[in-house]
Amino acid sequence: MRPNATIDGCAAVADGRSIIEAARDVGIEIPHLCWHPGLPAEGGCRLCLVEVEGAARPVAACHTPLRAGMVVRTSTRALEELRREILALEQGTHPASAFRPDARGSEYERLLEALAPPPPPAPGPARAALDASHPYLRLDPDLCIMCRRCLRACEEVQGSFVYAVAGRGADVRLVAGPTDRFADGDCVACGACVDVCPTGAISDRDRRNGLPTAATTRTVCGYCGVGCQVDVHVADGRVARVEGAPDAAVNRGHLCQKGRYAHAWQSSPDRLTRPLLREGGAVREVTWDEAIAWAAGRLRELAAAHGPDALGVLTSARSTNEAAYLLQKLFRAVVGTNNVDCCARVCHSSTATALKLATGAAGATACYADIETARAIVVAGANPTEAHPVVGSRIERAVLRGTPLVVIDPRRTALAELAAVHLAVRPGANVALLNALAKLLVESGRVDRAYLAERTEGVGELTALLAALPYEAALRAAGVSDGDARRAADVIGGGPTLFVSGLGLSELTQGVASVLALANLALLTGSIGRPGAGMLPLRGQNNVQGNVDMGAAPDLAPGYQPIASEAVRARLAGVWGAPPPARPGLTLVEMVRAAESGAIRGLWIAGGDPAQYLPEQERVLRALESLDLLVVQEIFMTDTARRAHLVLPAAGPLEQGGTFTNAERRIQLVRPALAPPGEARPDWEIALLVARALGADWSYGGPAEVMDEIARAAPDLFGGVSHARLAGDGLHWPCPTPDHPGTPRLHVGGFARGRGALTAVEYAGDPEHDVPGFPYTLITGRVLEHHNVGTMTRRTPSVHLAPADVLEIHPDDAAREGLRPGDRVVVESRWGRAEVPAHPSPRMAPGILFLSFHFPESHANRVVGPHLDPISKCPSYKVTAVRLARPPA
Amino acid sequence: MSDALRSLLAARGAPRFPLLEVRDHVARHGPPDAAVLRALADRLRMPVAALRGAVSYYADLHAERAELCVCRGTSCALAGADGLADGLSRLTACRTVYCVGHCDRSPALLAGERVVLAGAAAGPEEVLREARAGGADPPPPDVRCLAPERIVTRRLGRGGLARLDRARADGAYSALERALAGPPEAVLAAVVASGERGRGGAGFSTGRKWRAAAGAPGPRYVVANGDEGDPGSFVDRVLMEEDPHGIIEGAALCAYAVGAAEGIVFVRSEYPRAIATMERAIREARAAGLLGSSILGSGFTFDLVVFPGMGSYVCGEETALLGAIEGFRAEARPRPPYPVESGLYGRPTVVNNVETLVNVPWIVANGPDAYRALGTEASPGTKALSLNAGFARPGIVEVELGTPLSAVLEEAGGADDLVAVLMGGPMGSVVRPRDWDVPLCHEAMAERGVELGHGGIVALPRDADLRALLLHWLTFMAEESCGRCVPCRIGSRRLLEIARAGGPGARASLDRLLDVVSQGSLCAFGQRIPVPVGELLDLIEERGA
Repeated sequence: MRPNATIDGCAAVADGRSIIEAARDVGIEIPHLCWHPGLPAEGGCRLCLVEVEGAARPVAACHTPLRAGMVVRTSTRALEELRREILALEQGTHPASAFRPDARGSEYERLLEALAPPPPPAPGPARAALDASHPYLRLDPDLCIMCRRCLRACEEVQGSFVYAVAGRGADVRLVAGPTDRFADGDCVACGACVDVCPTGAISDRDRRNGLPTAATTRTVCGYCGVGCQVDVHVADGRVARVEGAPDAAVNRGHLCQKGRYAHAWQSSPDRLTRPLLREGGAVREVTWDEAIAWAAGRLRELAAAHGPDALGVLTSARSTNEAAYLLQKLFRAVVGTNNVDCCARVCHSSTATALKLATGAAGATACYADIETARAIVVAGANPTEAHPVVGSRIERAVLRGTPLVVIDPRRTALAELAAVHLAVRPGANVALLNALAKLLVESGRVDRAYLAERTEGVGELTALLAALPYEAALRAAGVSDGDARRAADVIGGGPTLFVSGLGLSELTQGVASVLALANLALLTGSIGRPGAGMLPLRGQNNVQGNVDMGAAPDLAPGYQPIASEAVRARLAGVWGAPPPARPGLTLVEMVRAAESGAIRGLWIAGGDPAQYLPEQERVLRALESLDLLVVQEIFMTDTARRAHLVLPAAGPLEQGGTFTNAERRIQLVRPALAPPGEARPDWEIALLVARALGADWSYGGPAEVMDEIARAAPDLFGGVSHARLAGDGLHWPCPTPDHPGTPRLHVGGFARGRGALTAVEYAGDPEHDVPGFPYTLITGRVLEHHNVGTMTRRTPSVHLAPADVLEIHPDDAAREGLRPGDRVVVESRWGRAEVPAHPSPRMAPGILFLSFHFPESHANRVVGPHLDPISKCPSYKVTAVRLARPPA
Repeated sequence: MSDALRSLLAARGAPRFPLLEVRDHVARHGPPDAAVLRALADRLRMPVAALRGAVSYYADLHAERAELCVCRGTSCALAGADGLADGLSRLTACRTVYCVGHCDRSPALLAGERVVLAGAAAGPEEVLREARAGGADPPPPDVRCLAPERIVTRRLGRGGLARLDRARADGAYSALERALAGPPEAVLAAVVASGERGRGGAGFSTGRKWRAAAGAPGPRYVVANGDEGDPGSFVDRVLMEEDPHGIIEGAALCAYAVGAAEGIVFVRSEYPRAIATMERAIREARAAGLLGSSILGSGFTFDLVVFPGMGSYVCGEETALLGAIEGFRAEARPRPPYPVESGLYGRPTVVNNVETLVNVPWIVANGPDAYRALGTEASPGTKALSLNAGFARPGIVEVELGTPLSAVLEEAGGADDLVAVLMGGPMGSVVRPRDWDVPLCHEAMAERGVELGHGGIVALPRDADLRALLLHWLTFMAEESCGRCVPCRIGSRRLLEIARAGGPGARASLDRLLDVVSQGSLCAFGQRIPVPVGELLDLIEERGA
């Protein structure tokens, strides 16, 4: 556009934006306090007043659009005087000690310095005392200028509505909940308000005040699979604070409570710092040389005695791609077994299997950017608001801007509250519901016929199944009304849709079937391979995607290449110097059961606590204890590590370099922000040391060289990936060549498998449905404040926010059971029992219970039974028949 | 209020009028504590902090229950309301409100929903006895007309025309009936051609407002603004109590013209009888097929509900008023967007003052030319003025726009013993005798810098305590400022502090600060109030008071 207005004589473009924004474009910064880039204009501080020729009085540059022909002056003497007087009014309401003009102080203090307002006639009275009731944020009312940036950031960035203004006139004040205690409010501690507060009225409690930041490192958060980029500030050898990287594509500066604040684990005094060897009942610290030699010796002995398939390894979904790659290579190429798996087995293995079947690729077909451009969104079996908060916020923002949402979830989650339709499906009955929806789409003709004809196969079989489907019976099984199903079909049938899914679809005996049935909806609506649509499963851990990408699966080599393929083995032999065995190995659960039977004699477990996260916990403990060799790489002494013969102290997230791959297949560079404590070592180095001790001639100068080898081992997906190319926002795989830009959306020109496969999947009731004597259905899962088994978050102030696992129960059920909030209750299944406090919650449906599994003492996974998905071998964490009892007195 | 919060409530399926439920709760149980707030927020699907913010904003939602609400609008204040309130509050639970709209008989107060006239000389004990004695509301004000044609006041002062049968016999709904036989555009065109300007104070073209809303994608809303906030004017109250069907018909014509199916009459809570009368009239009209689906068999569907205010002056400003309906604090929003583009629930909304709407059936029935024959070129039609108890003949006078103020004052019984008249409430003007020749129309008054506002005229006698009036106005400003922008929020309190302290230099400080507040404030409240305050300061200085 041609300039058509002037600001202080500079030509400016009137394109509908505000004067303050247009002025910034031409390098003119108009003083302001309440305005903040990216937030809606407030018009409250009145410091951005400017003169517009012909206007009766000054106008606020933040909420006045620059119009064609305007002549704007931003800094006349009259304006400057007016700004000084207005700022003096504000300044006069604060106690004298609150602020001082300071060019290096807060934004407000810098403005005091720059504008030099006249001194107020008298300082304001002291206000309420500093509110430090929350473990992560504090509110100092003396510093609050009522600019409402925090309020707007909370609404616009996080999608929470924690803040409000109370009172009126000169008595207005910021409130953060129903009382004057910050912790009584609904704050989820994302920190978005802290980032925009111009005075420090709202601030982080974890800033180590006074200590200069020694170094700041850009890396990737080590919690969930969203993959937020963070700037980690280190002072005095510890994390001083973590901030969202403002320019990162994934999170644009936003973070969640865990990523931003839950970092105290890093300097926890009980970090593992020396290798620990248990021999003859005694545990002693040993040197790394002794530890590695001992481990190599034991591996060699057991392989010689029982064959290499008596050994197995679990790579760590919390560690880097490079570490996972080397560890699976160690076991495949050096030890000689395909008993390689990781905890993806117990979360999204069903999703990966189903997506591979339906599309030919095991990854998300869509990317996060599709959230903002989606026509409609379905969230099925996922509660991203708590488990993937930054993505949850992106979805919430899209919904608040008008994107229709269907939520399929037994619980009334925060997103379900906002949904156009919430289908409160019975746990384990997804296939019945999704088939019924598919039937509605097909029979009303709301399918993309051209897409189906050109790009898919299996339409006939699916149509036949749906034609014969007893619709009412299916809905009855799913516990969903006809009206709700039809309203959902109306949303989905409108065209391409983004399907976001989680473990509520995957961790079931019909896990693969559930995801296939969801994929059917995606294919029927022509959603896969289209922008703003497709399948977007949310991965639970920071690098669970990457671990499977790297070959942490018994049948798949790096890059999802089938181990059974001779060509694949030949390629790997070329890269590795030795081929992997031809026969696929055992999955995670199978390995544990084989340990029980004695077929597996040695397990190597990197960063993970199956003793806590696997179902049938007592059985798992017996299996682990029966092993001849258990080696654990860990950052803390977990329940699993306690049973190990050798514990190797590992570097944690923030302490090692390499790459993580997030849920949208984006490979991002991970840089160590600080050194690991004591003698703890990066995971990739540990694999390297063991391989060398076993006689392999491995030599890598660092993780970057490992990635170069990954590119050669799996060229179709990673051939063009190198650390040098990953600066910034990284690359979405597949990225086959060095000049390839990466692939944010899969299957755009055609499916990886040729044609997208619709699958006729039939609903089968869950073995935990309708178990006599066990009237409730239990779902296990995560809460916002903790990550998985809580190894890290339990060692942070987050425990003040969520001090224990709780059993969520519908208030009516609680009343019938005589349970008041906090009462301890025994949850008992046919498989085991756990004792936890009860938490009546209206978001539960009657008869449905929810239990988190973050605290080892609650033994949540003793309750979960032995059922597995027959194809993926994923345990069924999401459906267990239970009854409730009062604990013994 | 933010777009995000509005979207959240919509997505969560919150009730359409969340604060009405809070109001009902407060009426039964008193102001909510933290636990009740949490429970109410859950039920209303509102964020608890936002609900707390709203509750703390509206006087009716957080004030402790009071037996009496003493009016201290300008007219009552001049008649000694502050002393009366002090006296009464020693006898019973008592709060003060800004204007119960009985300025023709000040001082007045509310005992529950009943209006009690205190009588200028009555002591508090006497007033309390009277309040507890019960009885009927005071009789309606005297209504007179200087214009050749009664338009606004045609059904006032005649008794009983609030009833549908009587109103219809008087011609109510006949314009609607005829209009429904033709296209909506005919109504729109007539109102545009009439040149009617909004009667609420700003004087914006009614037709242009309607045209803009009709051109924006629906659904659309019509809101009748009966939040007559300016102390000193009471014509809207009388219209709602005596000609509710004129308002309903005007709103229905507006809805037909712009294509709206729903409307709201916002009535301030200080007017309990107007609320009851409007509600009854709407019920009657609905029962007679004049509201609701397919009005008079035309296929046009439109319905109205009454939304009672909750005690806030700023609510009279249209964006604040819409926020109150939606459940938010009544704060003025920066414009654009204007309500005709993004109003109630983010939809195109016409907000018209009730007097503006009462004109509409007449315009549609008699044609724009007949309307334009009255008044001036730029301000066609008539205006109903409210004259307070300070005049010999208080009441409502309808005049042709362009009539000199002096003619009105003469009709009111003369103004020889007045130093000035206060026009248009606290955002209006202090009009001195030298300006009494001003014609009452927007163009001439703008030239003189005089505000007509909503047509309230309060006599300022020679013996009035001008300093008390100054403090009264500044107290009003400090208490009613919404608190959103710094100059008004903090400046209003500073002004009051400086005025109270007085002393040498106070005048200069006040002038400077009035200028800052006026130049810097976000909405008309802060921009305008300094003007009459400055004029009053001049008057005080001249009189050496």
